[in-house]
Amino acid sequence: MVVPSTEGGAAANTAGPEKRYAVEFSASAGEYFRIWIVNLALTIVTLGIYSAWAKVRRRRYFHGHTRIDGEGFEYRGNPIAVLKGRLIAVAAAAAFYGAARFAPYLIWALAIVAVVALPWLIVRSMAFNAHNTVYRNVRLRFRGTYLKCLGLLLWTGIILVVTFGLAYPYFKARLMEFLFRNHSYGTTEFAVPDLSYLGIYLRAVGLGLFVGLAVSLVGWLFGTALPDSRSTASVIGTLVGYVGYLFIFSYIRAEIANATWGTVRIGKIRFECALRTNDLFVLYLVNIIAIVASLGLATPWALVRAMRYQAQKMTLFAEGGLDSFVVAESAEVSAAGEEIGEMFNFDLSL
Amino acid sequence: MIEFDAVYYDGRTSARKAARVQAYTQSLYVTGEGGFKLEVPLANVRVEPPLAGTRRILHLPGGAQLQTDADAALRALFPRSNRLETWVHALESRWPLALAGVVVAAAFSWWCVVYGLPLAAGLVATHVPVQVEVKLGEQTLASIDQAVCDKSDIGLAKQDKVRQDLAALTARLDDGYDYRLEFRACKGLGANAFALPGGTIVITDALVRLAENDAQISAVLAHEIGHVRHRHGLRLAIQAAGLAALIAALAGDAVSITGLAVTLPTALLQSGYSRQLEDEADTYAFRRLKEIGLSPKYFAEILARMEGQKRGRAAAGTDGRGGFGYLSTHPATAERIERALSAP
Repeated sequence: MVVPSTEGGAAANTAGPEKRYAVEFSASAGEYFRIWIVNLALTIVTLGIYSAWAKVRRRRYFHGHTRIDGEGFEYRGNPIAVLKGRLIAVAAAAAFYGAARFAPYLIWALAIVAVVALPWLIVRSMAFNAHNTVYRNVRLRFRGTYLKCLGLLLWTGIILVVTFGLAYPYFKARLMEFLFRNHSYGTTEFAVPDLSYLGIYLRAVGLGLFVGLAVSLVGWLFGTALPDSRSTASVIGTLVGYVGYLFIFSYIRAEIANATWGTVRIGKIRFECALRTNDLFVLYLVNIIAIVASLGLATPWALVRAMRYQAQKMTLFAEGGLDSFVVAESAEVSAAGEEIGEMFNFDLSL
Repeated sequence: MIEFDAVYYDGRTSARKAARVQAYTQSLYVTGEGGFKLEVPLANVRVEPPLAGTRRILHLPGGAQLQTDADAALRALFPRSNRLETWVHALESRWPLALAGVVVAAAFSWWCVVYGLPLAAGLVATHVPVQVEVKLGEQTLASIDQAVCDKSDIGLAKQDKVRQDLAALTARLDDGYDYRLEFRACKGLGANAFALPGGTIVITDALVRLAENDAQISAVLAHEIGHVRHRHGLRLAIQAAGLAALIAALAGDAVSITGLAVTLPTALLQSGYSRQLEDEADTYAFRRLKEIGLSPKYFAEILARMEGQKRGRAAAGTDGRGGFGYLSTHPATAERIERALSAP
């Protein structure tokens, strides 16, 4: 399964000692469906306790089936660590919910707690994930510190407030730089140049204006053509709005992934990410329809499809092969940060 | 002796070496590319559990590892490791068992949602002090006042009369609740009344005007007292939290369940819970009305009038919910009227 490319088109890319590696994704929907449904059944029957083991199995499955040069990734998260993290997360969520419900005058105190805790959650969850992601028996590592993260969030937060959110591309770029630059593969650090997403977001805003126009046009057409169909018009208008939103979402997702991964260097490894907006949009649309129509049973299929597409569009180029990365010394990392983050529903994906 | 092929990583670099492993009862002997040799006692080897389509991994002392596809060999060598996950793997490997998982999951969640949660919520509710309920009620009233309701236009004399009727209904109940009545003009709600946790009952001006006599208002109040006494507000809140937790636990692994897919069943289930509670409150109301010498037929009358008004609004197209009968939070009104008229 070694894949130095034999395609004629890639010849230019493999000039010199640089080798081309495709990212393969060998998961199958049927296989994952069985894992998923057994996870679900055991989680329900154990009143949620098994969910920690379920999560580790899911991660192990997807890591193991993501292969470069024939070698799969490995997920080493410990279910007991995940369970502990989850229990802490549940307690924190209950405290938060209870306080918000019964003591709303504490809301400012809670907001401050959230601001203080957020960098900790981000840093801890990145560290836990990195520490437990292994390729060729070499762990990833995340060394971002709480203070750096807090400083970043406060600084960009102020700018976001002052500009009424218009500085979001700036915030996103600084955050991605922070996340990437603090990762390393073994002892080899990730490097990215200064990022800018301004152009991507400007084009997305243009798309948004276009969608808004389309929605009002649809509303106007239906509203005037058939006086009785005001509600039909609003339903269709909403639908067009959602589909338009999905398209913009796909656009931002594809462009940011492509722009960012295209500049990442890990030692002598570089990447090429070639996601296409149209592909992603159709993929997401079909996934959503399939999941809703199957009452959720198509979720594993949808997930496998999405991950396969993203893997297929990722290519690695490594000068001198993948054999020379060195393991770093590292201590164990607790799962609490990641689990609390999941509980409060924020997701950071590279 | 068992023999198998593996890939070896030394735990210091990412260099991959092909290896051949010979396993005896006590130790593994690894020989590989570049002529390296290694002896590892079996007791020092930690095996990762099996998982469909992925290589098995053996962690050796010092961070080295072997990866192999020789599943059968590992099962023979480490019969007692990863028992839980080996069993889970067996479940995951067979379609009939996996499909049985669908049935188990569905049946258990159905049981939880239909019986388990209401049962648990009822149990928890009995242990919550009344002061907490009062607090919850105050907040709910405050948010209602902010969002949907304005001050009442009902004359003070009429308000006093209705309050006296409530006092008659709640006299000597001794259930620890301090019943209070609030009049409000709520545009979107039409003729309506609702019980907040802790004993506050809100009645809309439209309902006061819709009633033909005071006995009909008393009938509605009796129903709301039933909600308060049975702690329905609190139970619904607890059930909602429990349901959210349950769905979150499931969605945790289902990953990309969309917002819609989660909120829609929640709303449906919530309305199912409400139906049970309405029935309970009705039953209480019929009994209480009889106790103070009023006939449950007044409840039937006011229900019929409320239904008539709702129909009128639906026909006029101002009630957006016209077509969604099944989403109604009150059991089919005809059925409830029937019950009121035949109440023993």
